[in-house]
Amino acid sequence: MEDLDLPQMKREVESLQYQLAISREKSSITVTELVKWIEGCVCDDPFLNPELMRANPWVEKGKCVIL
Amino acid sequence: MGEMEALRKEADNLKDQITEARKVVQDTTLQEAVAGTALVGRVQLKTRKTLRGHLAKIYAMHWGTDTKFCVSASQDGKLIVWDTLTTNKVNAIPLKSSWVMTCAYAPSGNMVACGGLDNMCSIYNLKGKDGNVKVMRELAAHTGYLSCCRFLSDSEIITSSGDCTCVLWDIETGTEKTIFAGHLGDCMSLAVSPDFKMFISGACDFTAKLWDIREATCRQTFSGHESDINAIGFFPNGNAVITGSDDATCKLYDLRADQELVTYQDSGIMCGVTSLAPSLSGRLLLAGYDDFNVNIWDMLKAERVGVLAGHDNRVSCIGVSSDGMACCTGSWDSFLKIWN
Repeated sequence: MEDLDLPQMKREVESLQYQLAISREKSSITVTELVKWIEGCVCDDPFLNPELMRANPWVEKGKCVIL
Repeated sequence: MGEMEALRKEADNLKDQITEARKVVQDTTLQEAVAGTALVGRVQLKTRKTLRGHLAKIYAMHWGTDTKFCVSASQDGKLIVWDTLTTNKVNAIPLKSSWVMTCAYAPSGNMVACGGLDNMCSIYNLKGKDGNVKVMRELAAHTGYLSCCRFLSDSEIITSSGDCTCVLWDIETGTEKTIFAGHLGDCMSLAVSPDFKMFISGACDFTAKLWDIREATCRQTFSGHESDINAIGFFPNGNAVITGSDDATCKLYDLRADQELVTYQDSGIMCGVTSLAPSLSGRLLLAGYDDFNVNIWDMLKAERVGVLAGHDNRVSCIGVSSDGMACCTGSWDSFLKIWN
């Protein structure tokens, strides 16, 4: 903060006033919803659901082919 | 009291009020919410492809949207667009300046961008006539290095710079639309929200800032890190932010409640985080470190559940494809690897 000049300092104070004024929701709601969202998506996550990785486009299928 | 002194006092006062406002809504913690959740099982991903071709350190990579193509940038002075399935090089673009630090793929797949110590963001058209890839625009105005860039569309791009600002550009006219100033240190990284309305920046002032693109304001500032933030990303649903720092930790911040939720750290990890990417569900966090490894974290339980070891030098960049099927790592060893 020591490096700011007057106009920058004024903008910093304005920004802080704006940031103070945003609405904040209760953690009990936001965290619960975040956890629920993740748990709902886990079955669609290829890194966590091996079924989805069965058809893995980066793995060579079958044996070598003579060109 | 001088005006400067009065402003400083007001700023400190406002910061204290923000801290109080955050305490007021903190009626639970992530740890409490997942007390009954089981740890994810050990995650083992294998290298499926190694992309060889760069002749020097790779500094950045970015997946295309809905595609198996990705672009990488190396200080050998090249941008390479790869077909990761075949490992073929779709485009090998020679750069005017080899000191590249970042690259990006436009969501449309029509363009790529890069920049670095030349302080500029160069836009390349991949779909030009007669198949030649040419520089379309050179966005110059930053007074410091270009650390990161991300397209909003074919006509707009956001850049972050060592001059402590981020800028929204009109690619057509090559001009600055909005300057986002407020960080007190070099901006190192940026990420755009899934709905393209916000972006976050991480900087050497140890903070991350959430910006409203159209309002041109900083909505939230997140502190807590004890060193430079090198990497930043949105949680997949856009409601949380993940940061990675030289302090050897990653942190998760809740945007709706405006607080830090958890720190991903281990006494055995003492080197900086260079890059990060969440898996599709957000349950896993893949983070690249200076010690050549990628650690995989269970984001809910904050424990390490896997390691990707295979690079012979620092992992400088990482990305998960948009369908969540693969992770790509880029390293100072000049190789990219595809894992799943």
